[in-house]
Amino acid sequence: MRIRAAVSAALASAGILLVGWQSGVHVSDTRSAVAAAATGNQASGTGITDSSGAASSESAASSGTTGNSGTTGSSGAAGASGTSGAPGAAAKAGGTYDGDVVQTRFGTVQVQITVKAGQITDVTALKLTDAEGRSVQISNYAAPVLRDEVLQAQSADVQTVGGATVTSDAYLTSLQAALDAANL
Amino acid sequence: MNTQLLPSPGTGTPMRPTHGSAPVREAGRFAGQHRRRLLRADALTVTAWSSMAASVALWLADGGLTAVSSPAGMVTALGIVAGLAGMDLVLLMLLLAARIPFIDGAVGHDRALEFHRKLGKPSLYLLLAHGLLIAVGYGMAEGLDPVSEAVALWVLVPDMCLAFISLALFIAVVVTSLVAVRRRFPYEFWYAVHLLTYAAVLTSLPHQFSVGGLFAVGTWQRWYWLAICIATGAALLYYRIIQPVRATFRHQLTVERVTSVAPGVVNIEMSGLQLGSLAGNGGRFFIWRFLAPGLWWHPHPFSLSAEPVRTGPDGHGRLRITVRDLGRGSAQLLTLRRGTKVAVEGPYGLFSSAARSKDHVVMIGAGIGITPLRALLETTPFAPGQATVLLRGHSNQELYLGEEILELCRQRGATLFHLTGGRDPGSPDSWLPASEHRAGYALADYVPEIALADVYICGPSRWAGNVLNAARAAGVHEDQLHHERFDW
Repeated sequence: MRIRAAVSAALASAGILLVGWQSGVHVSDTRSAVAAAATGNQASGTGITDSSGAASSESAASSGTTGNSGTTGSSGAAGASGTSGAPGAAAKAGGTYDGDVVQTRFGTVQVQITVKAGQITDVTALKLTDAEGRSVQISNYAAPVLRDEVLQAQSADVQTVGGATVTSDAYLTSLQAALDAANL
Repeated sequence: MNTQLLPSPGTGTPMRPTHGSAPVREAGRFAGQHRRRLLRADALTVTAWSSMAASVALWLADGGLTAVSSPAGMVTALGIVAGLAGMDLVLLMLLLAARIPFIDGAVGHDRALEFHRKLGKPSLYLLLAHGLLIAVGYGMAEGLDPVSEAVALWVLVPDMCLAFISLALFIAVVVTSLVAVRRRFPYEFWYAVHLLTYAAVLTSLPHQFSVGGLFAVGTWQRWYWLAICIATGAALLYYRIIQPVRATFRHQLTVERVTSVAPGVVNIEMSGLQLGSLAGNGGRFFIWRFLAPGLWWHPHPFSLSAEPVRTGPDGHGRLRITVRDLGRGSAQLLTLRRGTKVAVEGPYGLFSSAARSKDHVVMIGAGIGITPLRALLETTPFAPGQATVLLRGHSNQELYLGEEILELCRQRGATLFHLTGGRDPGSPDSWLPASEHRAGYALADYVPEIALADVYICGPSRWAGNVLNAARAAGVHEDQLHHERFDW
């Protein structure tokens, strides 16, 4: 009887591990595809001036494949691209502001905000945690949630996303720096 | 002195167990029950191992293995797996201690607790490894030494300070539970520290769901983990709190009479309601709390020493336990007042007909361990001539309830031996009195058919160990040996 228990337990455990492993291979395939797409995006996006930055970054964010999206560049509207040193009064008018680069154990995080008439109209993640496949997935999940919350609250004073505490904290820290730069 | 009472078929009517159906008069009537019980035990083994495999599979299914690309990632991955397996072991430990009837009925209370105890150290090691490996792995990724990384985690990441507290509590619980430490401290202290387990588990939960990326919002892994945590909590709440409280209110037990049986040994009679549902449990034990000042918080595990007697309508009746002054707690029981309310939990354990696998039955008891045999003898099914009772004590006075047992043996047709006298100091492995031991008697001389019988053993642990060895030597299979420890 003990033998029966040992054999069944071994078989059941092996089966469960096998199923887990197989579905894991599947998950990582799709994930590396996503990561590759994000990397490619970044490569092609760098240095290209994007005339409709806000719109395209929004679509990138909501489609969940933000990652290291290449929608950097200054948006056509303001031209005060990433000038964190710009005097505050002028900044109120609008423009894009880059936040600090925040290092985390899962990778670096940096966000950019778009301001129009003293309102945050968009938040773009320039860099998101990408240390390993898992982090990419978390970033893709957390970034749109955080963006929506920030746009609603119009500040960095929002809740962190469950399961993505580190990413959220870094995101909001970088955001606060961008808000300070924009004098908001 | 040997007293033998020969089987007397037909002189009395065997009492029927109140819960069972009419006994089937054919060979191997317990075979089916035995097979089902072993199947349950095996199913539990498989479930436990599968849950361990599943906790690792959660991580594998998330692409954990293929995502490992650097040494730092490797260390972190090991840390994650250690944490998952460690938490799963902790949940298994809690379930083993939850007194779930399915587990209790399959392996018995004492063996469930033995497994519980065996898992203590492995789960602590896994949790320690989890903490260390994560600190090292994260530190490597960030270029920090593990200590600075641990401090950074503590300070910067929400819920991590709780996780550190949890780890400290787990260490405290396991260290105080180790037998050596347990002997040095009073039981009550050890028990109070053990309650900290709940605090340790609760403080560990937040970081699993907020920091652990595997259980991020929206993943099915999060739902699985939530489900097993909630199920474990619910089982503990129901079987350790709700069920006992309900039993206490249902039975309304009150101390009726405390009578002396022998020096330091008393019968405690209690009256209560709906006692029919407590009947037929043989030697299974209950946990009693006498709700008197200074006593109420002390749980006492005792089995019934007599089946409940019905004295009125609605299951109104009396039941009895027999208690010997063994520790500080039981000494106070000798002075219990009439009318003291009693809280009851149980019945627990497998020292009952539920463990039977053979038609023949042998009951061997020593000292106060005789009393559960008295209840078992009253109810367990056997035909006249199929049962043997061996009672062991220093003197006749120590064969507690000896006269009641003699009467029951007479009624049911069981063979009874009284084995009295001091031990042979020269042979610590003997369970017999010195004179019988020197005469060369063995277990099979008293019970020739012992290899075909269920053997129930109850008594001091050293002595019981000797009996178990004697029974094994006489050819009794492990499945037929029924012995429960009460000294946990």
